[in-house]
Amino acid sequence: MTTLLYTHPTCLEHDTGFGHPECAARLTAILNVLKTVPFAALEWRDAPQATDEQLTRIHTPAHVERIFARIPKRGHYAIDGDTIVSPHSGKAALHAAGAVCAAVEAILNGEANNAFCAIRPPGHHAEPNQAMGFCLFNNAAIGAAHARAVGGLEQVAIIDFDVHHGNGVQAAFEHNPAYLYISTHQAYIYPGTGSREERGVGNIVNIPLMANSASADLRRAWQQDIEPALREFQPQLILISAGFDAHYLDPLAELNFNEDDYAWLTQQILTVAKDCCEGRVVSMLEGGYNLPALAASVAAHVKALMEAPRTAQRSLIKDILERQKAKRNA
Amino acid sequence: MYEFLHYQVRDAMTADPIAISPKAKLREVEALFESHDFNGVPVIDDQWRLHGILTKFDLLKAFSFDTHALVPHYDEIMEQTAEMIMTRNPVSVEPQLPLSRLLQKLVEMRTKSLPVVENGRLVGIIAREDVLKALRRAAIHHEIPAHEEPQP
Repeated sequence: MTTLLYTHPTCLEHDTGFGHPECAARLTAILNVLKTVPFAALEWRDAPQATDEQLTRIHTPAHVERIFARIPKRGHYAIDGDTIVSPHSGKAALHAAGAVCAAVEAILNGEANNAFCAIRPPGHHAEPNQAMGFCLFNNAAIGAAHARAVGGLEQVAIIDFDVHHGNGVQAAFEHNPAYLYISTHQAYIYPGTGSREERGVGNIVNIPLMANSASADLRRAWQQDIEPALREFQPQLILISAGFDAHYLDPLAELNFNEDDYAWLTQQILTVAKDCCEGRVVSMLEGGYNLPALAASVAAHVKALMEAPRTAQRSLIKDILERQKAKRNA
Repeated sequence: MYEFLHYQVRDAMTADPIAISPKAKLREVEALFESHDFNGVPVIDDQWRLHGILTKFDLLKAFSFDTHALVPHYDEIMEQTAEMIMTRNPVSVEPQLPLSRLLQKLVEMRTKSLPVVENGRLVGIIAREDVLKALRRAAIHHEIPAHEEPQP
């Protein structure tokens, strides 16, 4: 079964300044691995730019305007201490969000089983009206909203295993039961949100993990919290906010996952996807700042996507359109 | 070694130690650590009353992961003042405490130095190195080697 790989050269042009951990070399390291023989079956596609309509399903028009107003003609501009933009950052962010929208459409259209978006800047910290934590537009939330808009989906799940809590995704969806947001993250670090008590309208599942949590804790979180919530929700599409900074070699936090954990978790998600939604999964890059660890973890994750259990490949959109047509005719 | 049992903290401590004000910037504290071999420095007011202790660990702690930034920012953190990150109500000892008991305290607390306070005023600081030096002094000058006959 095909796995699509969405990326765009402009994502490499988003320059965050000397020494910044969220750097172009991250994406280069990933793409270099995905160009090797074991990944030859990946179908590479150029990510289009997101449209205003796609962005403003999540973000306020003022936010979108403000981002572009802050892009400097040369040099850098610090939106906050962490979040730095430069001349190509706006375009890169559009391609990042656009990648997820295009991937969602392709998967709903039955063109492949699943997709990985190798993109930057990341997205899960970006709130409807606030860029922060390296993130400008919320790629995951924009993709999820796009699935609802174009595919007419009623249940979209987002699983976020980045080491930081995706405050932006939570802020976008905490009042909307059409979305399920599940996040594992390290407790008491940036951005400070993501306690178990934050439950939205019953559609937010936060699983904070203590520093030094490792494989066993991830497996426990899957069995006790993630899988039950996911199966009860019965998603029609699963998005993955795939940050790899919970790796034991990552410099920005203190969880101790490894490549095998990422492969294992991906396989578990794919098994649920097979049972609930014919394997439809769109994954996208969030964090991960140790380059060798990041490349190895993405390789394990994408390999698992490529080896997903077989499912019938068909167009969900066509189904929905036909159903709507039948309803009209009746 | 018997000599050691007679030592008190005041015999081994550094008297009138370098101390800083609660308003000292972390940048100044870091410079102090850079130029002196301190593990920590007492924080006092102009009456020499002890308000806290600021150790190298406290300084490191200012840079540990927290909720307000993904990456700690050096210049911002170095502008913070001593009182923001110091350890308050630190354990202190009196100058007349037997050095043998001070040694126990250091070992049990796994601490590297303790401030010495008399009548509410900081009078000294005592560190592991001071105790090691006192042990050596006690042994060199007063230990009687086993194979030697005692002098009449």
